[in-house]
Amino acid sequence: MSVYDERRALDGLQSLDSQAIGAIYDLYFPEVYRYVRYRINDDTVAEDIASDVFMRLLESVQRKQGPQSSLKGWLIATASHAVNDHLRRRYRRPVEALSESIPDGSPSVHSEVDAREQNQLVLSAYAQLTAEQQHVLALRFGQGYSIEETAAHLKKNINAVKALQFRALASLQRQIGEVNYE
Amino acid sequence: MNKLHEVLEICIEEIEKGADIDTVLFRYPELADELRPILEASAGAKRMAVATPAAEVVRRNRVRLLRQAAEMRASKRSARRFWFASARRVAVTLTVVAALFISGTGLVRAASTTVPGDNLYPVKRTWEDVLLLFTFNLQQREALEVEHKNERLHELQEVFAEGRSTEVEFTGVVTSQNGNEWLVSGIPVVISAQTEIRGQEIVIGSAVEVEGHTQGNLAVLAEKIELLPPGAALPDIDDNKFEIEEEDHEGRDQKSEEVAGEKPKVEDTETPESDSNHEDDSSKDGSDSSDDDSSSDDHSSGEENSYAGGDDSGGDNHDSVEDGDD
Repeated sequence: MSVYDERRALDGLQSLDSQAIGAIYDLYFPEVYRYVRYRINDDTVAEDIASDVFMRLLESVQRKQGPQSSLKGWLIATASHAVNDHLRRRYRRPVEALSESIPDGSPSVHSEVDAREQNQLVLSAYAQLTAEQQHVLALRFGQGYSIEETAAHLKKNINAVKALQFRALASLQRQIGEVNYE
Repeated sequence: MNKLHEVLEICIEEIEKGADIDTVLFRYPELADELRPILEASAGAKRMAVATPAAEVVRRNRVRLLRQAAEMRASKRSARRFWFASARRVAVTLTVVAALFISGTGLVRAASTTVPGDNLYPVKRTWEDVLLLFTFNLQQREALEVEHKNERLHELQEVFAEGRSTEVEFTGVVTSQNGNEWLVSGIPVVISAQTEIRGQEIVIGSAVEVEGHTQGNLAVLAEKIELLPPGAALPDIDDNKFEIEEEDHEGRDQKSEEVAGEKPKVEDTETPESDSNHEDDSSKDGSDSSDDDSSSDDHSSGEENSYAGGDDSGGDNHDSVEDGDD
C-alpha cells in the first residue's frame, strides 16, 4: 500500500490485513501519540494510551463499530476519551502538588524563569482546564490543526470553536497567573 | 465579543506564520491589552507541543498492534471454523433426519405387510409400538391394541399358509384344551414339556399370551403361555374366520395321530404313569378320535362360553379328557 487509500485501509482493517493495519499505524500513531502526550505529561502513560487507541480500533472494526468516514477523526476522538478516562481516574487520587521549584511570582517572572520551568508552569495551568478546553488547545496548538480542522474534529461550527478557543486560552492565562501567584 | 474571538484567531494565525505578538497587536490597539496575556498563554500552549514519538516507541507499539491483529485473525479463523463445522454438523444431521423420515415412512409402508420371519417384521412391530406410544386417547389406544392383536392372528394365518417355521407370539382366548393341544383364538397350540406355563389354572375361556414357534403342521409349538390379567387387550376376530385353519386343524389331528409317537415326551412329563399303560394309549387314541368329533363342538362351545361360562365348559372338557384317560 504505497499510496494510502483510506477506503482500502478501512477494508483492510476489517479483514485484519497486516499491511493495511501497518500503514494506518505508521500514518496516525505519531499524531495520536502527540495528542495524548500533549494532554498527559507522562511519556509512559501517553505511549500506553496511544497504543491502546489502536487496539480499540481493531476491536471496534471487528464489532462493526469502527470509523465510517474519517479514520483520523475517530482516532483522535477515541484518544480524547481515553485521556479523559485516565484523568478522571487520576483525579480520584490525591492531586500532585505543583513543583516547588517554581519561584515566587514577581512582575518579571516570565523573563526570569528558564524555559523548562516556564513549560512546567503552563503544564500545571493546563491541567486545571476542563476536558473540552484541553481538547481544543491540544488540537490547535499540540496538533497544529487549523481552526477549520479543529471545528471538524469537535463537530462544532467555526465561530463556536473560536469562542471555545478564546475561553480556553483565557482560562489558561488565568490559571498561569494563579499558579504563578501561589 | 465575536470580534475579540475573530481577532484572537487572526493574531494566532499570524504568529504561527512567524509574526510576533507586538506586531500583530499593533493592528488592534483597542484590543491589545486584553489580547496580549491570551496570546502569551497561546505561546505557552504552543511550547507544550511535543515532537513525534521516538522511533523505538513507534516500533514497539507497531509490533504489539500487529501481534494483536494476528491473534484476532487466528481467533476469527477458529471461530469461523467452529461455526462452519457446526453448520456442517447441523446440515448433515438435517439431511440424515430428512433421509430417515423419507425412507422411514417408506420402510414402515414396506414393513406393513410383513409377517413373522420377514426381515422387516421388527420394523412393523416397532412402528406399532410407536403408534401406541403416541396414542393418548384411551379408547383409541385400546382399539389400536385390539387391532394389533388381530393383526397377529392374521399374520399367523399367512405364516401357516406359507408353512413357515418361525417365532411367533399372539394373544387370545383358550377355546379348547385337548390334552397337549389347545386352541387359542382358533390357533392350534401344542404344549410340550419345555413349555413354560405362567399363571394358575389356565382353563377354557382364559385369556393368554402365547410365544412359540410355528410348525409346518399348522400349529404353534408353545414355548411360553402366560395367563393374562382381566381386561387385557384381546383380538376380536371371530374364530369362524379361521375355517381353513380349522379344516387344517382336522388334517393336523390326523397328522398328530401319525406323529403321536413323538408326543410321549410331553405326556411323560405330565402323566408319567400313562407311559406304560397301553390302555391309556388306546384310550388316548380314542380320546383323539373323540376329540376329532368333539373338537369342533368344543370350539363352538368354547366360542359360546369363552367369556361367560368358560369355566363350566372347561370343566366339561376336562371331564371328557379325564374320562378318556380313564
